Amino acid sequence: MEFGYIFWWTLLWVIGWGIIGNIVTPRIYLRRDLDVSQAGLVGASVGAATGPVGLIPLWLRTPQLSARWSVIPGLLVIVILAFAFAQADPDNLCVASSSFIYSQLSNGIVIGIIYGLMALGLTLIFSILGVVSFAHGEFYMIGGMVVYYFLNVWFEGSSPIMAILAACLVTFAIGVIFERIFLAPMHSGEVERPGEYAILVTFGLAFFLQYLVQATAGANPVKAQRFFDFPQYELTSSSGAEIITTTRGNLSLFDAVSIPNPRFTAALIAILMLILLLIFLYRTWVGRGLRAVSEDRQAAAVAGINPATMNTLAFGLGGMLAGLSGATLVQVFSWLPQVGVVASARSFVIIVLGGMGSLPGAFVGGLMVGLFEAAGAGCIPDPTRAAGYIPAYGMIILTLVLLLKPTGLFGREL
Amino acid sequence: MSLERKKIPTYLGYLATAFLLAFPFVYSRADYDFIMHLWITAFYYAILASSWSLLAGYAGQFSFGHMAFMAIGAYGAALYSNYIRFVTNPTGTCTEIPFFGQYLIILDAQGVTSASNSCLDIARETLPRGTVITQPSVWTGILIGVLLGALFGFLIGRLVLRLRATYLALFTIGFSEILRAAISAEIDITQGQAGLELPPLFPVGIFGYAPTDKLPTYYVMLLVFIASMGIMTWLVNSRFGLFVRSIREDEEAAAALGVNVVKYKVRVFVITSTIAAAAGALQGHYIGIITPNILIILQMSLVIAMAVIGGVENIYAAAIGAIIIQFVLEFLRNSFDIGPFVIDMSIWRLVVFGLILMLTLRFQRNGLIQPLLDWFSRSDVAAETVAIRQQESIGEPGGGEA
Amino acid sequence: MIHLQVNNIFKNFGGLQVLNGVSFEVNGPELIGLIGPNGAGKTTMTNILDGAIKPSSGTVYLNGQRVDPLPPYEVAHAGLGRTFQVTRSFRRMTVLENLYVPAMAMDGSRKQADCVEQAMEVLKFLTIDHLRNEFGRALSGGQQKLLELGRLLMLDPDIIILDEPFAGVHPKLMEIIYQYIYRVNEDGKAIIIISHDMDTIFTLSKRLLVLNYGDLIADGDPEVVKNDPAVIEAYLGHDDEDFADKLVSSNGSEA
Repeated sequence: MEFGYIFWWTLLWVIGWGIIGNIVTPRIYLRRDLDVSQAGLVGASVGAATGPVGLIPLWLRTPQLSARWSVIPGLLVIVILAFAFAQADPDNLCVASSSFIYSQLSNGIVIGIIYGLMALGLTLIFSILGVVSFAHGEFYMIGGMVVYYFLNVWFEGSSPIMAILAACLVTFAIGVIFERIFLAPMHSGEVERPGEYAILVTFGLAFFLQYLVQATAGANPVKAQRFFDFPQYELTSSSGAEIITTTRGNLSLFDAVSIPNPRFTAALIAILMLILLLIFLYRTWVGRGLRAVSEDRQAAAVAGINPATMNTLAFGLGGMLAGLSGATLVQVFSWLPQVGVVASARSFVIIVLGGMGSLPGAFVGGLMVGLFEAAGAGCIPDPTRAAGYIPAYGMIILTLVLLLKPTGLFGREL
Repeated sequence: MSLERKKIPTYLGYLATAFLLAFPFVYSRADYDFIMHLWITAFYYAILASSWSLLAGYAGQFSFGHMAFMAIGAYGAALYSNYIRFVTNPTGTCTEIPFFGQYLIILDAQGVTSASNSCLDIARETLPRGTVITQPSVWTGILIGVLLGALFGFLIGRLVLRLRATYLALFTIGFSEILRAAISAEIDITQGQAGLELPPLFPVGIFGYAPTDKLPTYYVMLLVFIASMGIMTWLVNSRFGLFVRSIREDEEAAAALGVNVVKYKVRVFVITSTIAAAAGALQGHYIGIITPNILIILQMSLVIAMAVIGGVENIYAAAIGAIIIQFVLEFLRNSFDIGPFVIDMSIWRLVVFGLILMLTLRFQRNGLIQPLLDWFSRSDVAAETVAIRQQESIGEPGGGEA
Repeated sequence: MIHLQVNNIFKNFGGLQVLNGVSFEVNGPELIGLIGPNGAGKTTMTNILDGAIKPSSGTVYLNGQRVDPLPPYEVAHAGLGRTFQVTRSFRRMTVLENLYVPAMAMDGSRKQADCVEQAMEVLKFLTIDHLRNEFGRALSGGQQKLLELGRLLMLDPDIIILDEPFAGVHPKLMEIIYQYIYRVNEDGKAIIIISHDMDTIFTLSKRLLVLNYGDLIADGDPEVVKNDPAVIEAYLGHDDEDFADKLVSSNGSEA
């Protein structure tokens, strides 16, 4: 497929002005004795979005900046690139078929919610323990495995809800046990150089869990049946146009959007859990304790909250959230002991993008990555090669965010 | 007495080196080839683990991208040997550059399935009689791989200057995964998962040994291992070692005391990635085929685990740890039955290994080999402290409460 | 001739103005105290002098060389050494190695063997020579403080900034630090001491700088400064009332 130069030139133009904005803007702000903390980022995004048209007024007027200034230009960049893409490749399914676009969008959102849930677990752990768990994907993998074995081997024909609860229980228990044995000594000062230790020991856990599951469950891919069937239903408007149609395995809206049943139920469960989590964090005493510890560890300890308990709880809960996303997704994707690796990587991307330790950031980041993946999977020309790069897209985002704005979109200042 | 004890590890080191140098001629059991293969692989891992320990243990840069540099070395060498040819006459069909009286040609990418002829095959019919086409030297390819490793080490080292701990770990994982995806995806060039083939280290054999004989490769790998240990020993005992350790301990304090933090951080990346690239290029030629799987995250964890279990703050401990673990893992491959259960040791050994890694980290932080080495080199320090204090009978000013 | 010239330094973090046009000069081997209530900008000033952070505007010249845009290690090479408020010894390096770092960083041709003699002398002076082969982490807090001072001797700068050298040290150690300061000063080095301990600062320093919310409100002879109404006002008006009490009472006793 001939892929137009127009797209690559646009990309080059955007990147070029982004770099110019990133380098020049802070210098101008510095020379005028103004706050430069946001200047690099805003300069980069304004430059990328508008080129000299936006940059020159910015340089001349040098307004007071906040992180919000980079959001609109950032969105504009996406629009520009999408437009250039459409110009360059008008026959592409993503450009030509609106129903395909809607389906990809809705699927991206649906899967993004679940990614968000998983990343929420990781960010919860980070905000309370100050640790990035490199074994997060393994919890996800185990969650899915437990559901599969529960439904297909141990208790055939039992309710999927029981299986999901079992997955939560198992992953929560693994998290709690691991935290007690390996991470608790870190916070009581028993372990030297806790930062390095946490990285290595969670890495060790990932290695251990992955091979443990492979040794016990084998290396063949498994996949659970879909949990529930949709009731058959059809709703048409007075003019005879379709509004909602469901079959057992699919849901379609306005004859344009089609969401497969497993994804839909997975997202539904994820939203439910999210609401429960928010209620837990904001309405219960324990949840408030958790948030207090994440805000200020010492102050919370003075106020009578035992940080050690909160650590354990947070790690267990974080692992459980990953396990839960795995449990809901085992009916969507086929499952291997290795699926955790990609899931871990994706969670890293999300929390770095959203800002380490930020709960809303994790959720928004999850949605963005979900949409991004849907767009990437559907729209990129030269499919075989593009598919090969799919694992890299997230990592490119990750490395760029780390280099340009390590605090992410919603992150606290370091 | 104490002085002699300090020397014991050095003497043991010489002894071990002598043993390894003599081994291929002394050993003569039936599993000769297998054991030789284990040694070569063990050296390969020892080079990687010890250079990672220089990066992580000495300089405090917990990078997860070490295998990426190894892969850059391997793919650099492989691409060179697959795509570069020297021809005495111009072909007219290939990309070609005059090169010292010959023509250096770059073959076009073929892909995995393509059966079409390369530009050289097409040119072959028109080239004048007597035209000589030569494969490039394996050693030039290795050199190119190593230089590429150094270059990427420099670039990554520059980029990660501001990143610490977890952020560095995430960034280097990202770099490694991007590289892996690129190698997997650019099938036309790298053959993707099918793997890129490399000629053996000695394509026509040497000293009467066939190209497939293990002995020459054994010595090459051993010499590179010894050389890298020698270079690193010199480095860690020189100002370089002192400065990178001070950076590990406290970057700001080191800078305030005049240490050029940027320079030494970049240098340590360049040096360790160069060593990793050399190991990768050699191992690539030895195995004969490389795939993107050489840089999956589990390979990285294997190297990290070897270094950590040996002792990450000591290059010798890391190297010894790697060699021992490599042998232990190989000999634990045999599966067995317990009653009705078949214990598939090829997986279970790794489960146990992961557990040992975690337990080592938790309860024996300095690794299992390093305390042994420390016992030789540092056991007299406490006695010395006490002795000097008594001898000079000076009170402890900083606080007798210590 | 030692000459430090600080010109009109401003520093703001976001909207927070931390330093507000601070200027002063150091000529020759002076012994200067830098005081001010909490949040006055003392540590920020130190970090700017050291090169760890860059001023929003203003310049710093050290012996005629402009140093404010330089990274910390180049500032160290230009002749400025500092300690940190929290002790920062290299914990997994021996005491001797701790001392080798600045010596070898300053002189690229020096090897460890060339530094041993000087290092042992420094350790003897600081009375921690019996610990020379111990790791930094094995030392008590006070000993680590001495080790940090020892590193400065090996660095051999023209100007030394000591950030809270007396915080949490017992009398015997205090005595050693006193001797250290006098000796270094007699060797011809300028010293800037940042401290909350008002007795020591009045005993030691020949000149006093007072920072208050980013403004340098007084600069001069300690006897004059402590009678300065602006200084008393600054301490009374803010949270450091203990200091103000002492200031007032010491004024009273001498009046």
